[in-house]
Amino acid sequence: MTRCVCILFIVSGLLFTTCSPLSAQEPAALQRGAKVFADKCASCHGAKGEGTADNYPEAIFGDQPTIDLADYISTTMPEGEPELCTGEDATAVAEWMQQAFYSPEAQARLNPPRRRLSRLTVSQYRNAIADLVESFAWTSRPDEQHGLKARYYKSRSFRDKEKVIERIDPVIDFNFGEATPDPEKIPEAEQFSIRWEGSILIDETGWYDFILKTENGGKLYINDSRTPLIDAWVKSGYDTEYRGARYLLAGRLYRVTLEWFTFKEKTASVGLWWKPPHGIEQPIPARHLSPQSSAPVLVVETPFPPDDRSDGYIRGTSVSREWVDATTFAAIEAVDKLVAQLPSAAKLKGDDDEAERQRKLKEFCSTFAYRAFRRPLSDTDRQTYVDGQFESAETSDDAVRRSLLAVLKSPRFLYREVTGQDDAFTKAARLSFALINSIPDRPLLEAAEKGWLDSEKGLRDQAWRLVNSYRGQVQLREFLRVWMNLERLEEVDKDAEIFPDFTPELVADLRSSLELLLTEAVTSEDGFQRLLTTPDMWVNDRIAAFYGIEKPVGDDFQKLPFEPQHRAGIASHPFLLSGLAYHDTTSPIHRGVFLSRGILGRALKPPPDSVAPLPPELEPHLTTRERVIKQTSPAMCNNCHKMINSLGFALEEFDAVGRFRAVEKEKPVNAAGYYRLRTGKTVNFTGASELAAFLLKSEETHRSFARQLFHHMVQQPILAYGPEAITELAEFFAGHQFSMKHLMVEIACRSASFSTPTTGKETTGD
Amino acid sequence: MNTRREFLKQLGLATATLPFISNLNAFAAPASAGARKQRLIVMFSPNGTVPWDFWPEQEGSDYDLKPILQPMAEFKDRMLVTKGVCDKLKGDGDRHMRGMGCMLTGIELFPGNIQGGSDTPAGWASGISLDQELKNYLQSKEETRTRFGSLEFGVMVPDRADTWTRMSYAGPNKPVAPIDDPYQMFKKLYGQMKDRRNLTSILDDVQEDLQRLSSIIGSEDRQLLEEHAEFVRSMELQLQADAGSRLDHVVPELEPGVKEENDNIPQITKMQMDLLVNSFVNDFARVASFQITNSVGQPKMTWLGIDESHHTLSHEPDSNKEAHDKLTKINTWYCEQLAYLTKRLAETPEPNGEGSLLDNTLILWGNELGQGNNHTLNNIPFVMVGNGLDFNMGRSLKFPMVPHNRLLMSIAHGFGHHIETFGKPEFCSDGPLSLS
Repeated sequence: MTRCVCILFIVSGLLFTTCSPLSAQEPAALQRGAKVFADKCASCHGAKGEGTADNYPEAIFGDQPTIDLADYISTTMPEGEPELCTGEDATAVAEWMQQAFYSPEAQARLNPPRRRLSRLTVSQYRNAIADLVESFAWTSRPDEQHGLKARYYKSRSFRDKEKVIERIDPVIDFNFGEATPDPEKIPEAEQFSIRWEGSILIDETGWYDFILKTENGGKLYINDSRTPLIDAWVKSGYDTEYRGARYLLAGRLYRVTLEWFTFKEKTASVGLWWKPPHGIEQPIPARHLSPQSSAPVLVVETPFPPDDRSDGYIRGTSVSREWVDATTFAAIEAVDKLVAQLPSAAKLKGDDDEAERQRKLKEFCSTFAYRAFRRPLSDTDRQTYVDGQFESAETSDDAVRRSLLAVLKSPRFLYREVTGQDDAFTKAARLSFALINSIPDRPLLEAAEKGWLDSEKGLRDQAWRLVNSYRGQVQLREFLRVWMNLERLEEVDKDAEIFPDFTPELVADLRSSLELLLTEAVTSEDGFQRLLTTPDMWVNDRIAAFYGIEKPVGDDFQKLPFEPQHRAGIASHPFLLSGLAYHDTTSPIHRGVFLSRGILGRALKPPPDSVAPLPPELEPHLTTRERVIKQTSPAMCNNCHKMINSLGFALEEFDAVGRFRAVEKEKPVNAAGYYRLRTGKTVNFTGASELAAFLLKSEETHRSFARQLFHHMVQQPILAYGPEAITELAEFFAGHQFSMKHLMVEIACRSASFSTPTTGKETTGD
Repeated sequence: MNTRREFLKQLGLATATLPFISNLNAFAAPASAGARKQRLIVMFSPNGTVPWDFWPEQEGSDYDLKPILQPMAEFKDRMLVTKGVCDKLKGDGDRHMRGMGCMLTGIELFPGNIQGGSDTPAGWASGISLDQELKNYLQSKEETRTRFGSLEFGVMVPDRADTWTRMSYAGPNKPVAPIDDPYQMFKKLYGQMKDRRNLTSILDDVQEDLQRLSSIIGSEDRQLLEEHAEFVRSMELQLQADAGSRLDHVVPELEPGVKEENDNIPQITKMQMDLLVNSFVNDFARVASFQITNSVGQPKMTWLGIDESHHTLSHEPDSNKEAHDKLTKINTWYCEQLAYLTKRLAETPEPNGEGSLLDNTLILWGNELGQGNNHTLNNIPFVMVGNGLDFNMGRSLKFPMVPHNRLLMSIAHGFGHHIETFGKPEFCSDGPLSLS
């Protein structure tokens, strides 16, 4: 994390020309506030705080409680003459501003957000292509078994009669040395071979480096049973490490085969390692391996420009030339790969005559278009995308290519709800994108065809089916990564002199530890509570050694209590604590921003100027807390920082690498903090456990979680679904024991049934 | 399934962020910059030759053709036969392995785990091969750069990567796999053109549908679709403009459905050679290799009435006349393939230039062994054809058992690539063979 701190502030500065005292009683307070604002403030800020070009162009809005807003006005406004508007005047103005334009609710009323036509996001596009192709093949779902199926042979060849051992190997990382794995069954160390088969289970999308470590010969196949990703069958020279990379989509199994042999070599070893998107090189952990087989997944590797996330969540509301080009390349790539699977996908037989072949191919193309467009084809669609292509192309092979290409370039595939229709198929698509971030699968389309989605129960049954699938789990998991800020914590490194043992390996382990907590959270009923307040941590040997945790012997991660008197939940997990810190000292500001914006959902605007933090060495006697208070004491800063700091201070008992400390600079650490609710009430807490208990209970946490989850799933502004949508979802969440799955189903079903179409003839002219 | 890199490579993309059309243009050949083109083809056939039916008795330009070289009679004055050139590399690997792996690299194999019929196990060659060296040389200069640089053709190469099946190396431990499926080669060469044609035909339909949808969509959302339509329109225009100017490549017709099996070797060889000549016409590459089967290759030339496998026959002693008659027939057949390729090049005019492709191409025909039954690496039956390198052609030469590294150097120098050594330096001290 860089040295340049983000000092954030909430309200754009308020400039008042004059603000003379007026007397008014409670019922008239709003009128009084309105009058003061009109008389004294509007000339700079505009009649409704929208700003004026000459004086202060920024619109004023935010989510501070009235008491803080009034305080700010009282001490800083009008600029240069704050004594002109204080006390009751300031309070009256603040109250009036809240309901007139300042608060999120008022903003929603003034500028009601609209559901906008959207294209598929990049991950939706990739998922949709994979699912389209998969819908013509078979799929496998992960089960409880972990590791790969291993077959050991007592010679170089994989002949059945040479097979001597069959078992499951949880991890492939063997150093046989000069010995054989089993002297009885494999008498010669000079010659034996092993074949491992199964699947890799992926829960994060990205590029995976695969590494075959061997002194001998081997071939590694990943998601492709014909061409090896790594072909090191010929041992040549002195290399013992071979690499290859694959882009893999989360939520799926990918077939893996590793063939290995040793022949006349002094020693033998074999390791199947990888480097996942955020990890380090390590043997592929057993939890990511499955002995079951799986069908190939069509992963489009064409690079896409990133999606817009200026609203805080990924959405597809803009197009660019780069995106249109990418969809072209991706379509060509997908069609190329798909055509190779055509015989099985279109059920072609060797003895089909040309007429029969063409009939099957047309049927295949029609089905493909139906699934890609998420609705039955109209006659015009069929003519455009299927029949017309068969009429114009010279051969049926060309016709298939053109049809598939046209479908994948069609706005009906690339956009959501572009036809303006609002029916069972619309519901099916909304449900599916919300819950598995992709097009509807076959059972869901069938439910739409048969009218099952017309009933609330039918809709919910489908929603529950999806949310309980592995893909549904991954959708939740991907959201939790966003909610926890994980994607912004790409690189966590520390001053090697101060923290010599805080190695990249340890950082990767801590990330894995958090990922294991995510696994726990997405598979248990009380996952939300566990995330915020668990007293346990997933620990391996390296973590245990660094943090001084007593751990039973064993290579893998184990869940153990971790300083439960001091810690609770993710806010005191060492990965977040060290990620939200500088390379040498803590950063209550980073931690406070995460808590206020990420967890409590407060809107923070960027600071007016970027302010370099006060270097610790300039104030060697100050604790971090004291230094931060000093730095953020100017009124301009303090307006936001009193909230940010007072949340972050509660975590001051953990140093820059997340270790507990009672003392800093020879002074006892002060971990007292507080939070002023939007209602104006103040809550006090000291240390991580009290903080966590507060976060779990706070309605603001629930609202923020519901709002963010809604945006992640639906990719439309929640306030377009009614002014009460956030409140209702937050209450629903609390009313269902904070079951994240229940909330997902509720969000999916609500948005699926929401009746005003985004687009189409019926649109009211807003 | 393609890797991402291969996919991008096939599209000719340096980076996918380039505008679409410049990517498609990468497919068109660069304009020739005046100087004459020079090309190299390395043709390989396995298992040694039958020396007494191969080597001419006479030296010099008035030389005789023994039965195996008879098919080349028509091109005798454009051919160089070089006796006394030897593969002198020792070290790991049996001779079939060293013969193959060192033929174009001139350097030893790495130690490894591939065990031959004798000697110690070995791995891949420890250096780059001449064809790849020249590819890099030509690709490094703007005026000789082509879409692929080099193309590696094969005929019935077994589906296994080992020292016997690879002769071309991009560097130490980097064998290059030949493509032995003509349909796959066709796709590599012309697949993108097909994609583009298909794309052009469907964009109209997409555009129409966009308009249909724009008319029913709400006004506020219409703009997004209109922007989209505009991008599609400009892509269409560029494709059309491009089709008018650069898409004049000759696309060969391939007979469909020829399976990769022993009895189709003659047909596959012809298809691949036609693709090779065509790729030169389109200037897709200036270097090509053409590997018929593999070291220790076992084709059964049933079409010649021979039912035994080539390698098995090659082990028969000199005294087995019947076997050697067959081996002579087999090697004559390989020479007929060389003659077909030569003829195609001779008949094909040099595009935008003078003369024929053969005037600007050198073919080197080589083998992993001198003779099959004794596994000698002496007197490798090297033959060169064509006038690509200004060698003084139309001669039979005898060298005093020189290392073949010097021949490889001569070819490099013929391209203007004046390397001091190639492969194992100690075999290069006498410099390139004088062939001009």
